[in-house]
Amino acid sequence: MSKTVDASPKYAPCLICESTNAPDAILCKQCSAPMALVHEAHAQEREPRMVSILGDSNVGKTVYLGFLLDMLSQRANDFEAVPRGAYSVDLQQIVISHMAYRMFPPKTPMETDEWNWTYYQVCKRGSSPKWVDLVMPDVAGEAIAAEVASPSTFRIIQNLLQKSSGLLLLVDAALAANGSAQPDFFALKMMSYIDTMFACKRGKRISMPVAIVLTKADYCPECFDSPRRFAEANLNRLWNVCESRFSKVEFFASSVVGSLAYATAGDNDVVTPVPLHTALRGVLEPFEWMVAQL
Amino acid sequence: MALGLFSRNKDSASSQAITADRPYIPAEKVKLTGDPLRQALQTRRFGRILQGRRQWADHPDFKKTYDAASQALDECFALVPEGFVSIAMSIFDQPGSPEKDSETEPFLLARHAVTNAEYQLFVDAGAYEDLELWPEEIWPHLIDFKDGTGESGPRFWQGGRHHRDLASHPVVGISFYEAAAYADWAGYRLPTEVEWQMAAGWRIRSSAHVHRRYPWGDALNLNCCNIWASGHGGTLPVNACPDGAAPNGVLQLIGNVWEWTAADFEAVDRDGRQVVGETLLKVIRGGAYDTYFPWQAVSAFRSGLGCVARAHNVGFRCAMNLPQD
Repeated sequence: MSKTVDASPKYAPCLICESTNAPDAILCKQCSAPMALVHEAHAQEREPRMVSILGDSNVGKTVYLGFLLDMLSQRANDFEAVPRGAYSVDLQQIVISHMAYRMFPPKTPMETDEWNWTYYQVCKRGSSPKWVDLVMPDVAGEAIAAEVASPSTFRIIQNLLQKSSGLLLLVDAALAANGSAQPDFFALKMMSYIDTMFACKRGKRISMPVAIVLTKADYCPECFDSPRRFAEANLNRLWNVCESRFSKVEFFASSVVGSLAYATAGDNDVVTPVPLHTALRGVLEPFEWMVAQL
Repeated sequence: MALGLFSRNKDSASSQAITADRPYIPAEKVKLTGDPLRQALQTRRFGRILQGRRQWADHPDFKKTYDAASQALDECFALVPEGFVSIAMSIFDQPGSPEKDSETEPFLLARHAVTNAEYQLFVDAGAYEDLELWPEEIWPHLIDFKDGTGESGPRFWQGGRHHRDLASHPVVGISFYEAAAYADWAGYRLPTEVEWQMAAGWRIRSSAHVHRRYPWGDALNLNCCNIWASGHGGTLPVNACPDGAAPNGVLQLIGNVWEWTAADFEAVDRDGRQVVGETLLKVIRGGAYDTYFPWQAVSAFRSGLGCVARAHNVGFRCAMNLPQD
């Protein structure tokens, strides 16, 4: 349940790390989260729920989040989403403007003060409409890897996860299908990190809902036939830790690129991936599931 | 859990992907006649009948069958007049980007994409086992052209049969080679890229030199096509969106499914570097029901896809040269 936020704070505690900041601060002095999140939460008079979108470097977090927000803004699947603050639109704009010109957006920088944060009011329409205030940051994959390898390197990630009502863990299905164990190991580390963080007893499972999103699934169409079966076969370590330690896990296949090509001038040239066209598949479903769990 | 894949709204029943909430109902089998000429008519190989004058001239039913095939061809194909086409050679379609100009001769283009029901006839006639229909370089890959149950056929079929409810939807889950083999089997061919763009852009020979952004005109109208923003969330029957027809009555050149063409995809990026795929890329045109950016579903937009890819949103339509007499 959302908590009520003090409507007139003398000091502004950061929404992520709860450090005290001056009321006119733009970024949290401790974790660099935008203080606009706090101001917006005060305006709404309730604390928003946070959903973390995490994954390894190059898994497609920025593109996934950008298209998710853009689809929500266009009332996809009975959803209605309103950005709270112009800063919330930046990520969506960057992703769409790049993909429209057949380019992937630039990598999210390691520096926390350069991450894009989004604060959306999302409504799931239906017989009993459900409103959710959601905060979703675009976190650099390298920062996640560093934090998982050495906890407290990027304390903001730990704080974010502790505050999160749910996690979307993105895993590179294309790499996994090609036989690489890297996606499986990264996801295993991530889940182990969360397991340790919540410090659940051996017999008790973690109740935070986790959507495992298998990205770049256009490379391995069998992933769409049954994401669970795909994970069991190609991401067995992740599969097992999910089965044994997490009580609310669902697997999803997702892809954004309809056809991928490469620009190259010759053997020694840097090869640049080119998304020839965009075809969204399975972008909304993990989010839809997550909202139903909140 | 019932999930509507790709859907903008809940109307995802027409998606050809198999979902847990939609049982697969296979289409009923049709018994094919043993007589080759009559079977050609039964399987809608009208092009073959017209080409087979010498082969079947002595057949007692030839005249009647030939006339029926001619009439059917008139109904299924439309004339695309001669015209001009400018193909963008850069993936950044900006003013000033390199273009290749071509003139096109008049030709016939199918009014709609090949349906599941039509493709079923190709499968049932044993075309996957007929090596003459397939280029030799693809023979080793023929064993990969299977449906979801390991039978020869499009990727999303089961047991060698299409879903009964999708008979009139465009066939998808077929590679470039399967599309080309079907066209050859039926006595047609795939359109070239310039022919496809001529049919969609309708830049006929006139003093105006007007190129249409869409077959129906220059303004996007979501009632005229099935793209992501239209909100259907899956393929529609091939006769849907009649308001989006080209002036000659050809339907759905924009949206519903991308269409294979006969052309290799050649393009450069902003810096003049070649754009290549992991396998040979063939040109696909028109956009599909899940095309997110409307400007990627216009008559001049080009994309490419690996020639053995069997995508959920790519189908094809047939073309043929004007008959000689």
